[in-house]
Amino acid sequence: MTSAALAQPWRGLGARAPWAIAALALIAYAGFASPYELRVLAFAGTQVVLVLGYQFIFGHAGALSLAQGAFFGIGAYVTAVLGGRYGLGFLGTFPLSILIPLALAAIVAAPVLRLASHYFALATLGLAQLALLAAVNGGEFTGGALGLTGVPGIVLLGWTVPRGIAFAAVVWLVVAAGAWLSLRLTRGLTGRAYAVLRGDPLAASAIGLSEQHLRLAAFLLSAGYAGAAGALDAHILGVVSSETMAFSVMVACLAMTVIGGSTRLAGAFIGALLLTYLPEWLRSLEGYSLLAYGAALLLAIVLAPSGIAGAVAGTIAALGRVRRPVLPAPAELPEPQGPSGLPLLVVRGLAKRFGGIEALKGVDLTIDRGEILGVIGPNGSGKTTLANLVSGFVRPDGGTVILAGQSLTPLGASAIARAGIGRSFQHPALPPELSVLEMVALARASLSDDLGFRAALAGRDRGDRRERHEAEALHFLQVLDADGYARYPCNALPYRAAWRVEIARILALEPKLVILDEPAAGLNEAEQGELARSLRRLARRGLGLLVIEHNMPFLLPVADRVMVLDEGRVIASGKPEDIRRNPAVVAAYLGRRAGMS
Amino acid sequence: MTAFLQLAFNGLALGAAYALVALGFVLVLNATSAVNFAQGDLVMAGGYGAAALAALLPLPGLALLPLVMAAMAVLGLAVAALAYFPLMRRPASSVFISTIAVGLLLQNGALHLFGPEPRAAPPVLGGGQMHLGHVVLSYQSLAIVVIAAALVAGQRWLFAHTQLGRRMRATAQDREMAAALGIPVRTMIALTFALAAALAGASGALLSNQFFVTPTEGGALILKAYIAVVIGGWGSLEGAVLGALLIGVFETLVAAWFDYITAEALLYGVLLLILLGRPQGFYGEAAGRRA
Repeated sequence: MTSAALAQPWRGLGARAPWAIAALALIAYAGFASPYELRVLAFAGTQVVLVLGYQFIFGHAGALSLAQGAFFGIGAYVTAVLGGRYGLGFLGTFPLSILIPLALAAIVAAPVLRLASHYFALATLGLAQLALLAAVNGGEFTGGALGLTGVPGIVLLGWTVPRGIAFAAVVWLVVAAGAWLSLRLTRGLTGRAYAVLRGDPLAASAIGLSEQHLRLAAFLLSAGYAGAAGALDAHILGVVSSETMAFSVMVACLAMTVIGGSTRLAGAFIGALLLTYLPEWLRSLEGYSLLAYGAALLLAIVLAPSGIAGAVAGTIAALGRVRRPVLPAPAELPEPQGPSGLPLLVVRGLAKRFGGIEALKGVDLTIDRGEILGVIGPNGSGKTTLANLVSGFVRPDGGTVILAGQSLTPLGASAIARAGIGRSFQHPALPPELSVLEMVALARASLSDDLGFRAALAGRDRGDRRERHEAEALHFLQVLDADGYARYPCNALPYRAAWRVEIARILALEPKLVILDEPAAGLNEAEQGELARSLRRLARRGLGLLVIEHNMPFLLPVADRVMVLDEGRVIASGKPEDIRRNPAVVAAYLGRRAGMS
Repeated sequence: MTAFLQLAFNGLALGAAYALVALGFVLVLNATSAVNFAQGDLVMAGGYGAAALAALLPLPGLALLPLVMAAMAVLGLAVAALAYFPLMRRPASSVFISTIAVGLLLQNGALHLFGPEPRAAPPVLGGGQMHLGHVVLSYQSLAIVVIAAALVAGQRWLFAHTQLGRRMRATAQDREMAAALGIPVRTMIALTFALAAALAGASGALLSNQFFVTPTEGGALILKAYIAVVIGGWGSLEGAVLGALLIGVFETLVAAWFDYITAEALLYGVLLLILLGRPQGFYGEAAGRRA
């Protein structure tokens, strides 16, 4: 707990009071509820667990999975088969109902998780259809279209949990455990890492966050939660059939998540309870509930994209009740002084073709420590491809990239970012819910092991650790004179600040080499001068720089050496003043752009 | 051999109907970079539309078809207005979700209007058949092949030779450039939705005579359209049509040799294999965005 919270204890209570009131109301309701109402309450609990799980993959990771209903069904079938046929107790079936969907998710993750947006959605739908076909045609094992009856109740260490209030209590204890875990995993830096991922996977890789790991972890968790929900559902109903796995289960889960809110804990409760109880309250509309689902889902996605919970939180924020966080004192970090002149980056024979077009035809280059290499060339000459290949955002077809003696060729973008190559983007799509400080702190955290669900579980991605990463982040912003922008939302930076924040973000990863793609674009002459001074200062620290630029008056004075690309080939390389006079360069490039310098 | 030819012909007829679904799917995908998940449910709506119209107007299927397609085009405009235009500037997955909602509305609307029993539309011409060697060609299957071919050709002609088609193509290729050239981009997108829905409706009217129509058949159809597009290459109109024909033949042959369930399962398996065989996934596109 921070000192501010200690001084004003009611602040912590303020956030928890609604939860405490809701929990008390739930207990009071359960005390007076009829057996039927308790059954509905238990069912509502399963739906909360299902949605809590779906929030990981759909809300946090931002991937529209349509397999959540299938994992729910698989969990239910595992409980029915193992409990009903083989007489396994709850303490055996329940963990297996979680682990088996989770293991299946791990198996299918390899082909489907790399797919972007709707490709991923349709691939997971294909998987779900396969699971449904298997359930309907599983013969005696799954009971075919009729399903399996005789699923036993919950038996804990020989005690059969009686139907009614005890049963509902067990289900809601699972809900509480699921909610606690979800909160623990997503409230710290790890939750912010997911915000970057769903905003722009490339931006996530650039600050060293592994997209594959984040997506895989979310997918596995969502499958495990769905399995738990399915198992409880089987115990409540006593029967499991292919209905449990039908697409309507998936659609209901999606509707609950969208309507409640896909990234907030309260959203899971609001969505699941609302859509479970609405049909109960609107008995007169019986049969029309799915129509109402469809209409509500359409309205929610159009009018309240962050759900009811998001809309409420937005209103509270607009009323000004949320304080702006106090900035930490910047950390004192030593200014690194590296040796100059030693070879840093060695690139040999780098090649890439897109379809039939050879974008890069075997490029060689070296950059020494403390050296600024300028890369120029006409549009389409392969400059950005070169940057993408060296930084790992695009896989090369041939060639090697060696940084300070370490081969980077087999590594992916996020690993290369952590290994020492930082790069800027021309138009990073950064998430609006993150401040500049938070984004740079994430880059710092990605160098440590304070990020990811394991770190979150151990409490390493919050509290003191987070404050330390933020203090260090502020140091790097200060180096670039950008600490004044620390609290700005990432996506609302003015041009004159954006380059400073981009470079601070890169420096936070303690790179050896920095790649800048048209850093001077959109800057006036005074700002270009400041940028040039900053680049020289980085070079004096022993960093190597690769600067892609169109703007000759900016680049030629600042670069130690200039390399010219044309049609994917290096056509010249040398001192800036020689390049200016090189006839091949003039013909290929400068000559085509009259009045350039 | 005769049995094989017979099955291949039946499969071709089925594939021809799928081709119309897949074509509409790709047209919207190209124009909006968004998946219209309701495309399968629009087929279902077309099937019910044809069955309902037939009950009101005692006309042959061929005469009903233009009416069904016109009504479906209007429905397509409604889908665009409700589920696409409000979400134009949001991530593509928003449209995916909104069209799932539209599908839910269509399915349950059909359930309430027509009940869960399967319905059938009247045949296009009649119930007769002709013989080609030992192969039986039912008039209905022949009509499906001929009408689907005519509609695919019509779409190609529209895109290649008319001002309207060229504008629709320009919108799909580069929306901002099209807008800069003065093309009414929103109108073109709305018309693309209308065209896609009309094609889906034709497919539904043609399929529901032999295979009947039920409220929930849309889910399987949208998956087949998707697989056809994966096989044919993303964004390729010809590829989608070819992929759909392949799926129709494959499904019919496997269903005859084993059973329908095996055919479905194999189809989804093939889909996953294709995805597995593309190690770069589709992220190549996303990275290329920056170049």
